[in-house]
Amino acid sequence: MTNVLHVAFRVGAAEYVVPASLVLHLDAFVTATPIPGSAAYVAGLVQVRGRLVPVVDLRVRFGVTSDDQPSVGRRVIVVQSGGRTAGLLADSAREVIGIDVTGFAPPPELVESQATGFVKAVAALGTRLVLLIDVPRILGEEHRHD
Amino acid sequence: MSDRVDLQEFVVGFVAEADELVSAATAQLLEIEAGNTAGVLRPKAVRDLFRGLHTIKGLAGMIGVEPIVVLAHALETVLRAADRAGGHLGSRSVSLAVQVVQAISERVRAVATGHIPEPAPEALLEALATINLTAAVAPPPPRASIPAWDQRMGAGERQQVMQAFAEGIPVYTVTFVPSEAQSAHGHTIATVRAALAALGELVKVAPRATPIGVAFDLLLATRADRAVVATAAATTDEAIVLIEPPAPAESAAIEDRAAAATSLPASPIEDTASTAVAAIGRAVVRVELSRLDDLQELLSSLVVSRFRLERELVVQAERGVDVRRLRELADRQSVQLRELRRAILRARMVRMSEVLDPLALVVRSLVRPGVKEVKLVVDAHDAEVDKAVADRILPAIVHLVRNAVDHAIESPDERVAAGKPRAGTVQVNCTNIGNRLELAIIDDGRGIDRAAVARRAGRAISDDGELLDVLTAPGFSTRDVISQVSGRGLGMDIVRRIAVSDLGGDLEVRSELGRGTTFTVRVPVTIAIVDVFSFALGAQSFVTPVATVDEIFELSDTLTHRPPSRAGTRAAVAMVERRGAVVSLVSLGELLAIHSTVPATKAIVVHRNGERLAFAVDRMLGRQEVVIRPIEDPLARRPGIAGATDLGDGRPTLVLDLVELGAGIARRHDPIIAAPRSS
Repeated sequence: MTNVLHVAFRVGAAEYVVPASLVLHLDAFVTATPIPGSAAYVAGLVQVRGRLVPVVDLRVRFGVTSDDQPSVGRRVIVVQSGGRTAGLLADSAREVIGIDVTGFAPPPELVESQATGFVKAVAALGTRLVLLIDVPRILGEEHRHD
Repeated sequence: MSDRVDLQEFVVGFVAEADELVSAATAQLLEIEAGNTAGVLRPKAVRDLFRGLHTIKGLAGMIGVEPIVVLAHALETVLRAADRAGGHLGSRSVSLAVQVVQAISERVRAVATGHIPEPAPEALLEALATINLTAAVAPPPPRASIPAWDQRMGAGERQQVMQAFAEGIPVYTVTFVPSEAQSAHGHTIATVRAALAALGELVKVAPRATPIGVAFDLLLATRADRAVVATAAATTDEAIVLIEPPAPAESAAIEDRAAAATSLPASPIEDTASTAVAAIGRAVVRVELSRLDDLQELLSSLVVSRFRLERELVVQAERGVDVRRLRELADRQSVQLRELRRAILRARMVRMSEVLDPLALVVRSLVRPGVKEVKLVVDAHDAEVDKAVADRILPAIVHLVRNAVDHAIESPDERVAAGKPRAGTVQVNCTNIGNRLELAIIDDGRGIDRAAVARRAGRAISDDGELLDVLTAPGFSTRDVISQVSGRGLGMDIVRRIAVSDLGGDLEVRSELGRGTTFTVRVPVTIAIVDVFSFALGAQSFVTPVATVDEIFELSDTLTHRPPSRAGTRAAVAMVERRGAVVSLVSLGELLAIHSTVPATKAIVVHRNGERLAFAVDRMLGRQEVVIRPIEDPLARRPGIAGATDLGDGRPTLVLDLVELGAGIARRHDPIIAAPRSS
């Protein structure tokens, strides 16, 4: 089987996907507790089922500058990667789609520069173009536990 | 996604099982090692070790962790040969086995934390392959197999049996099954034991569990007639089995013996002492820590709803509602909650003596006869600590012990020259003092050369406190040549982080040149519930542990003296007069870059290195007990933020460590902070 489930979400004008196997759950985003002194792309801390989870604001992380940020419908995609748990803050996330992973191609240069290396691959689903995100890089590999 | 979940559960099971096998293997290796020192073989330990590794191999194979399979297999080969040699495992083999077990343990940890385990170290595998297996087999000790008793006999008892065989005295296994009918006739194990002992030499009495209760196997060497034996044992002739003397050349292979062991009726129990242990063992339930965490989670939501109830009671009382009866119930509930909390905390306690078990292995792996000789003394009394604390503190203790052995203890020659015993001593003491656990790691080594450390750090060191500051600065090392050991693992900065930031404890050092060094770590026995003050800064609430706060005072502008501000400093430091002394005052809002529209009304005073430091906050909100959760992810970890808690709104509230925040300021504003001290 090359058809793998992915969670699709939107940040700014682009559509991204993350393998469903990395996703613990999706939560509506209300607010996060700001952490003084943390990186600008860390929106803050949320409590997910008793666990403290940092939320990465993907708009800031991806350098999306347009101000069409929705006030409702924002979602936190809670992902697990390399023993870490973190939330990814997206403009919206509603859909789980099966993607034939053999259809993924390396990202064109333009995309890569836009999301500064956070996109691993792209796939065309009919007329839609989805970008596969690189979760460890988004969370910052330099922060990895040993 | 269900596939992934299943595998995840399997991994959890694997890790739990493998952890247990690894710690059993550790104990067995230590036993074999002790036996080697005393010149006694420990065949049972070798066999158990062999079986344990075989099981680990099988488990690792099932979830496809190849490096563990390879390591276990390599050691298994060596152990099989050792077992055939009657349990002879030389010291070099023990050393290698220790390394294999450690390598397996590291890889189990990798699996547990979702990382890919490193491949098996080639050098280690090669070293294992070069162990001369035939040489190990060469000296088969004179021993014979008595299948039904092999598992249950000690060396002395075996000697007794061999003696009987040599003298041509028949040896029997007599089985006695106690029952109501038997005891009605006055036959108990005590009477049977006495009667048989009168007939000859009663070598061993071994109880074993049977489906209907217990049975006793008695090993008897006697020239008495079988019928006499049967009468004495209040049993029939069928319950008496003659043991054939083994052929002299017989040397049972492990497979045979394993078969014999499985053919034993039910599970043999060693003797009365271990019967008692087995009975206690049955009353012990191993529980995954996560289940206890769940319990605590439930308790904390109870505590939170208790707060809400309290708030509601106050509101109702203010409205003039008669809440006396409710208040009584609420108070009683508070007491019950406290008791429940205590019971849950007790369930989470582990004995430090068990937690510190791996230390013996750590020291063992660092000792080299003639180069580094160290005696480890662990004195844990009855100290207990929360499992979560134990898991966090152990790496710090291992590091301190490793450091002591590696850096502090001199070579035997140096020691003798200095008039010390050849072997150094590293002592680990633990004691429960109130709600804290105190751990002292004491060595009688060379002591820390303050002058050398000062040179290296480029700053003066006048006392042990400053010495600790330097030693625990990130990346500091007194070694120009990094030794094999110090290059690995944690630095002293991590030890401090674990003890101070993670566990809310403290770390102390006392060192005397030439005499030795003592590190003292004090950590809370449990990290669960803390008494805090809550306060507001702008729109955000924070809490800080009551234990760190000296006092809280009303801010009044007349008392504040603001020195000329320096460009570029984010949080200006002012001075306030407090009980005749000058205290530095920092705006916490400015320090944390939190915008506030109201002037600060209160100041929270903390103590750091003998100096008082005040933080101005918008207003105080209250004081309460909260459950503090650690912040695990590095994205959210900041110095001065000790964790987060839920004040009842379902949102995390940050727990500030004002002492640590104060340290940050001291580094940035040294001259200003230092000034008032001289006045």
